[in-house]
This record gives sequence, C-alpha cells and structure tokens, in this order.
Amino acid sequence: MAEPTKVITEIFGPFQDSINAEQDIRELIRSIMKDIEKSLRETVIAMQVIHSEVNCEYIHHSLLKARSLFEEVQKGFDWLDKTVPPGQYYRYNDHWRFSTQRLCFLAALIVFLEKGFLIDQVTAAQMLGLHDKENIHLDLEDYLHGLLNLASELARFAVNSVTLGDYSRPLQISKFVAELNAGFRLLNLKNDSLRKRFDALKYDVKKIEEVVYDISIRGLTPKASAEDAAD
Amino acid sequence: MSKSKGNYRSKRNKPTVGQQAKEVLESLDENNRVIKLFRAFAVELDDKHDRHERIVKLGRDITIEAKRIIFLLHNISTDIEEKRNSVLEEAKSRLSTLCSTNFKAIALELRRHDGYLYHRAFTAGMQEFIEALCFYQYIKQDSIGNWVDINRSFQFEDEDQQKIQLLFTQYDFILGIADFTGELMRKCINTLGSGNVSDCFKLCNFVRAINTGFLGLSYSGNREVSRKTHVLRQSLAKMELVCYNIQIRGSEVPKHMLLSVIESQEADNNDDEGFCI
Repeated sequence: MAEPTKVITEIFGPFQDSINAEQDIRELIRSIMKDIEKSLRETVIAMQVIHSEVNCEYIHHSLLKARSLFEEVQKGFDWLDKTVPPGQYYRYNDHWRFSTQRLCFLAALIVFLEKGFLIDQVTAAQMLGLHDKENIHLDLEDYLHGLLNLASELARFAVNSVTLGDYSRPLQISKFVAELNAGFRLLNLKNDSLRKRFDALKYDVKKIEEVVYDISIRGLTPKASAEDAAD
Repeated sequence: MSKSKGNYRSKRNKPTVGQQAKEVLESLDENNRVIKLFRAFAVELDDKHDRHERIVKLGRDITIEAKRIIFLLHNISTDIEEKRNSVLEEAKSRLSTLCSTNFKAIALELRRHDGYLYHRAFTAGMQEFIEALCFYQYIKQDSIGNWVDINRSFQFEDEDQQKIQLLFTQYDFILGIADFTGELMRKCINTLGSGNVSDCFKLCNFVRAINTGFLGLSYSGNREVSRKTHVLRQSLAKMELVCYNIQIRGSEVPKHMLLSVIESQEADNNDDEGFCI
C-alpha cells in the first residue's frame, strides 16, 4: 500500500502548496485593490460636479481633487507591481481589470475636460501609474473599455450641459464622440465583452446627436446665433 | 436681400439628426490623430486575436490526437506481452511527437508573451494530453509522474538555442488527472470483462488514492475542480461496486459473467458519460 501515499505526497502535496501560494498572493492583491477602489470611488464622486455646475472654478477645483486622488491610485499600483509575480499579469488580472477600466474612463474624462482631446494609451497609463512598470501594464482592451465608458458619460454630460445653458459643449462632445466612433470602427473586435460594450456606443452617439439637433433647430448653437446676430 | 440670404441658408443648413456626426466623418482623414491611434490599436488587437486563434487550433489538434492515443491504450491486451509492448511503443512515440510538434508550436507562439493571457486557448488540449500521458504511464509502470517531471517535457529550444518553457499550470495537471480516473474506470470494467479480477482491485485502489487526494485539498476556488471531482466520485462508486461484486459473487458466477451482473445493477444509474467524451 505504498502507492496511495505516494500519489498524495507527490501529486496532491505540491498542488496544495501551489494553491496556498496563489491564495496568499490573491489576498495581498485584494487588499491593495481595496485602497485603489476607495480612491476610485472618491474620484467618481468628485467628477459628478460636471453635471450640475458650469462654474469653471468648481470644475477646476474638482479636477485638482481628482488629480490628487490619482496620486493615491499610483501608489496603489506601485504596490501591485511589487506583488504580482513576473509574467503572471493575466493570471491575476481579474482582480484589477474592472477597476482599471473605470480609472481609465476617469483619466480620459479629466483629459477631455482639461484639454479637449482624446487621451492616448501612454498618458492613461502614466496617470494610473501603470506606465513602464515591470510586472503590470495598462492592457489595451481595458483602455478601450474606459473610452467607451467615457462616451456614455459624455452623452449624459451633453444633456446636462444644455440644461445648464451651455450650448457649445454638446457640439464639442458630438465631434469628439464621432471621432471616437470612427476610430472604433477600424477595430476588428471579437465577440467578447469589448465588442458588447462597443455595440452600446451607437446609443450614446444617437443621444448626443439628438441633443445637437435640438439646439441647432432652435438656433441655439454658438455658430447659428452668431450668424443670426450678423443678420 | 437679407431675406433671400436667410432662405438660402435655411435650405442648405437645415439641421438634421446626425448632421454633425456626418460632417465630422466627412472631414476625417488618415492624418486625424484619433484615426492614427486606432489604426495602431487595430494592429495590436488583430495580432492578439490571430495568435489566440492559432493556439486554439493547435490545442484542438492536441485534444483529438490525445483522445486517439487513449483509445489505442484501451485496446491493449495484457495477456500478450508482445502486442502490449508494441502498443506502448506506439503510444509513447505519438505522445512525444505531440510534445515536439504542437506543444512546441504553442510554446513558440507564446514566446515573449504572457502565457496566462492565452491559457484558455490551450488548457483543454493540455488536460487531454495529461490524461493520455498518465494513462500511458500507469499502464506501463503502475504509477504516474509528478508535476516537475512532466513539466520538463514542456521545455523547448527555439532556433537560437534559447530555452523556452511552455506554461503548464498545476491546475491543468490536476484536472488532467481527474479526467484520467475516468479512463481507469473504463479500463476496470473492460478488465472485468476479460476476467482479470486482480487488476480490478488494483485499479480501484489507485483511483481511491486519487480520490483521497482530492478530498484532502483545502478550498480550491476552481469550479472545474469541483465539477471533475464529482465525476471522479461517480467513477469510483462504479469501480467499488465492481470490486464488491467480485468479492461476493466471484465464487458463484463465472468471472466473465460478472460484467453483465454489474451492468444490470447499474441500469438505474445511467449517468455514465460513455466512451465518446
């Protein structure tokens, strides 16, 4: 009866050790992500001000706050880089994929509000603290997910800008999202979560177009009102 | 004058839904920053998808060949030494061919990439291969290799004599072993049909040991593991029933008749997954 014990010690022993080691790493990652997600939530709250304020001062203040919260996020990802074993990013990335997508969205929103153009992948990685790290990086698909989330948020932003009397914002958003949409059409997406998320982009585009239509038919666009004044 | 101008404007610039998007799309060209960015993304995504597809293909071929090897090993007749050896030789060479062709091709595809990203593409083939390999090893020497030994057969050299190691996870190993017990169960039933009862007890004991190993695992958060241990328990119950029948009726019924006795007992327990997996 030597054989059964040999099976257990030689095969199940090392397997149990490997599960234990993996669980320990997952535990560490979870605690790091808890901190990152806390900053994430606070940033989300800070950025909500765009839907209820047109005052530049307020928005500027929120952007500064968001920027400082991103420094916390960067510290978290510094830790994560030290925790994830080399070459095993995709073994554990379930733990941070969703948060990374939302952080990308926030970074893209901040850059849109500050500069008005589309954030590139490197800038996003730098803002999150994922740039030039040894064991972790910003996955392209997570970044693209973030951009799609941005389009949804901008659709809402376009509606609320009109409510607040800002008629030039929807035009800027419309141009921006139309470019984004054209960009996404260049990708051959597989039938995965990114594809499903992309399929929802057309509703955001439509929503924004309706807002632009509503204001242009009433001659409320800055261009039209300028022409009216000239007439 | 101003009226006609106004009319002209409203005719040409009558706003419609989607007009702005259309204008933007018309003015877009290859030099647009966003378009340039996305062209690069498209290349990156296509590379990833193509690689994934190629690995899936290789993995599927491995699964098919492993199943054939298992089938070959089932046909082994323990009575004729010569035939047994030739079957073992053939299985061995086919297993090592799989390693040196398909698995090496996967390892080359994964060079400088994170194996875990593409793991799902070849995990099924890997498990099937482990099942076939364990079955071969068990028939040959009544024992199976450990993870470290098997992992060694997934080390390859590329054209620059650089060592590359194919990702072989402990989970793939243990899940392959779980599948392998199903083959042992089939072998046990077949062995009984040929009247070789001592092998039945031996096979049953081996599966029992593997079951003990699974029982001893602490939480393993993997759904596949719990699904396969469930199947393993069913196989083991079947084998234990075989051993029970041999013990209690062995002296009453001719050995080769025992099989039909067991099959009639199992009529109500018909969840055998059968030969075709």
